[in-house]
Amino acid sequence: MTEQHIAYIIKDLNHRGIIVDEISDEIIDHVCSGVESEIGKGLRFIDAYHKVLHSFGHNAGLRQTQKEILKVENKTVRLMLKNYVTIAFRNLKKHRFYTLINVSGLSIGIASCLIIMLYVINELSYDKHYKNASRIYRVNGEIKFGGNHWKLAVGPAPLAAALINDYPEVEQVVRFRSRGSYLVKKEGGTTSFKEHNVNRTDSTFFKVFSVPVLEGDAHSALAEPNSVAISKKIAEKYYPEGNALGKTLILDNTLSVKITAIFEDMPQTGHFQFDILVSMTGDEEAMSSHFLSNNFNTYILLKEGASAKALEAKFPGMVEKYIGPQAASILGGEFSMEKFRASGNILEYTLMPMTDIHLHSDLTAEFRANGDITYVYLFSAIALFILVIACINFMNLSTARSSNRAKEVGIRKVMGSFRSHLIRQFLSESVLLSVFSFMLSIGIAYLFLPTFNNLSQKSLQLPFESPPFYLTLLASSLVVGLMAGLYPSFFLSAFKPVNVLKGNLALGMKSGVIRSSLVVFQFVISILLIIGTFTVKRQLNYIQNKKIGFEKDQVIVIQDAYALRDNLQSFKSENLRNSFILSGTISGYLPVSGTWRNDNTFWPEGAQPTEENMVGLQNWTVDQDYLKTLGMKIKAGRFFSEEFPSDSSAIVMNESAVKQFNLGNDPLGKKISTFSGNNPDGSPDRNSIRSYTVVGVVENFHFESLRQNISPLAFFLDSSNGSVAFRFQASNTQDVIHSIENSWTKLAPGQPFQYSFLDEDFGRMYSSEQRLGKIFVVFAGLAIVIACLGLFALTSFTAEQRTKEIGIRKVLGASVASIVILLSKEFGKLIIIAFVIAAPLAWYAVSWWLKGYIYKVEVGFLVYFLAGLLSFGVAWITMGYQSIKAASSNPIKSLRSE
Amino acid sequence: MHSPELLKGTLQTIVLKVLQDHGKMYGYEITQRVKELSDSRILLTEGALYPTLHKLEAEGLLKTETVNIGKRVRKYYTLTSVGKSLSKERVHDFVDFIKTMAAVLQVKMA
Repeated sequence: MTEQHIAYIIKDLNHRGIIVDEISDEIIDHVCSGVESEIGKGLRFIDAYHKVLHSFGHNAGLRQTQKEILKVENKTVRLMLKNYVTIAFRNLKKHRFYTLINVSGLSIGIASCLIIMLYVINELSYDKHYKNASRIYRVNGEIKFGGNHWKLAVGPAPLAAALINDYPEVEQVVRFRSRGSYLVKKEGGTTSFKEHNVNRTDSTFFKVFSVPVLEGDAHSALAEPNSVAISKKIAEKYYPEGNALGKTLILDNTLSVKITAIFEDMPQTGHFQFDILVSMTGDEEAMSSHFLSNNFNTYILLKEGASAKALEAKFPGMVEKYIGPQAASILGGEFSMEKFRASGNILEYTLMPMTDIHLHSDLTAEFRANGDITYVYLFSAIALFILVIACINFMNLSTARSSNRAKEVGIRKVMGSFRSHLIRQFLSESVLLSVFSFMLSIGIAYLFLPTFNNLSQKSLQLPFESPPFYLTLLASSLVVGLMAGLYPSFFLSAFKPVNVLKGNLALGMKSGVIRSSLVVFQFVISILLIIGTFTVKRQLNYIQNKKIGFEKDQVIVIQDAYALRDNLQSFKSENLRNSFILSGTISGYLPVSGTWRNDNTFWPEGAQPTEENMVGLQNWTVDQDYLKTLGMKIKAGRFFSEEFPSDSSAIVMNESAVKQFNLGNDPLGKKISTFSGNNPDGSPDRNSIRSYTVVGVVENFHFESLRQNISPLAFFLDSSNGSVAFRFQASNTQDVIHSIENSWTKLAPGQPFQYSFLDEDFGRMYSSEQRLGKIFVVFAGLAIVIACLGLFALTSFTAEQRTKEIGIRKVLGASVASIVILLSKEFGKLIIIAFVIAAPLAWYAVSWWLKGYIYKVEVGFLVYFLAGLLSFGVAWITMGYQSIKAASSNPIKSLRSE
Repeated sequence: MHSPELLKGTLQTIVLKVLQDHGKMYGYEITQRVKELSDSRILLTEGALYPTLHKLEAEGLLKTETVNIGKRVRKYYTLTSVGKSLSKERVHDFVDFIKTMAAVLQVKMA
């Protein structure tokens, strides 16, 4: 049998109605085999073919066979599903434009969702890796006294001992004492490195926190004075040969410490991440029994089954027992905790679950800036919004296109399709689309995750190795597909074939109450996001440009000036000889957070110190050039000067201190007093009192984040070797840095040269807001883009539907402009409705967010107006293209063919 | 030639047994084999054979394999393990049935 014969058979059978792919293959083979054997018996091809056909029963028999097979096949689910998918695939291919819009919208949406979910999961996973995480609590303190109100992540030194001695439910305690960064070198080495993650802690650290110890004994590691436990990372840095255990490190060029343990690097998802833990054993401050200074981050491990609430309820008793007597000895005999509280003061301790710290705690003396549950909520909401917008696109397009498919539905029903079949058909289309979008979204997320990581300063990764990840994705793709397809499929499958085929079913744009509300919903979300973005941006600008009370530009800060030791003064004077450097000052206290802070209580001279007249005051020790270098303004009196030798007992205070001390309009020359000596137990000695004379008042300046009020502050003339700040001329930044570095290497050999610019340090205080702002803008933008994609498809569809109408209108004399207006009117109305709904919601949301700031921008009407205008503009541009295209098309073309 | 009416209930049994005896076969081959075995007294019609094959496949008793030969595609059927055990059972049942029929109809089997 020749090729032509086979081709003839295939064609002929097809002609006779054998069309189902799989069946036709089989029947063709059968017929061919039959024909071959007949030819073998000596028949001509055509006779053989007809003989075989005869055995089938000609056309009727062939079709009957096909039908019987189909009947069997249709009873099996697998094949029906395959049919649905095939048809769905063909449909999607046929409407490429809408499929493209749907898939791109959905996959961008899902990718954003995926990335945000990774972020949220990462945020929620903090500190969960410790074995006893659920039993570890931190003791938080709240103190309101003397014009100050502190919420502290730290407690007094003897608190830990009191807790474990008095309360049997406390299994273990551990304290930390942060003293900022250290300069570290190995014994015999010449170069020091600056290490940031250094902390002092009790020997019980490893008993509370299950950090795996790789070398050394966890049990005894920090028991000896001057012993340290270091992370693997640090061990490899200082001892690449891998014999760190037992070696000696030198901290800040003075303190020799012995390495007694090496622990696994602490994961990034912890509220602390220490590299070097220095033993507190033998430390004088750590052994103090003084309850009135709070410097130790205190953690407790509760016994199994013990209740934190019950323990917390006993804390007022503890305050009474330990703190009451010590406070009384300072504040005079008639002091009692009741009186203290009655005059509006607060002194209390509470427990916070460790796993809550990262997202719920923003107190003074945290180990580092924590995350914020608000952001987690915000981002989750955005993720959900984006997904919903993308799903709405899908639903709208499907129902809008329903008029095109109405006929299909009608014919299918006439041919015997049940409603359930149609629902399944439409659902499989949407599920197919959704699964495809999910696959695409993994790619998109993979591509953009590094960008997001950069933005959010995280190191998130797609968990490609974990099966639950794929399972979740698959499950969510099915859910999203079903959700998005549910409404269209029920809507479409409900058509009555008689109505549809007669053509009197009102469809398209006019039948869309639900569709309109979905478009409104999309734009409500978009407008909300636009207003949110504007507000975040404006607030950030406001903070950056607010009058902060000092000149933050053109100041370079050289850190760790103490490494210069005796050369500190010569370093300053040597650099001042450089003509580009205008002035310089030596002080650890700078008006940006993260630099030194120190506060003490003062009272007006002559009065007895009581809880009513004591004021907590920031004491900043500075030199005479401080004001000149940093550019604060003197309001009254003068700043320190070498011409006044008596300045060692003079102070310059800020306006807020003047107000707090009630010094009236003429504070100059008035005096305030403080305790100048300590008892052996660390509490202040009531008999040694020192007084200072106010010689000047500076205008209030911001020295912490604008989230906080300006608290009372005073300058004292004394040495303070934390850093050196130079004001320099703008044009020569590089030269200045170079010359400063040269003199540093000469005067502090082997010590790391670290510098920063004051304006950058200032900006860093708002880095989390900046990050939030950027992420917010990106995702809000995406949400708007996806919403507009949907609108674009929807308008182009309407325009397509109305080509004939537009043609007739044009023939009757309508202008292009009037048609454009006609087409935009419908959506314009929806956007105005959306704006009316979104505005109050946005107002509420924005005021909620701004509540966290003391100095906040006024969000005027203009922002709302702009947001409304912007969303209208974007939507109009989206629609405008299609409208103009439709309006300016030649009516002959649209009307000619029917 | 036997009446198709008589064959109706036995078609599945025939297909299963033939496949069990010969392993891999395609549709036309099965008809030819049955024709041969029955001395042309049983002619499987295509309209009956293929739906039966598809039904048995859907029930998981047969598995298929397609081979391209020239311009056409040939589909081979083989028994699955379930199909094999069922085949034996069916043949056994059928022999029983014939015995019963012989008793009912009062005829002696050759």
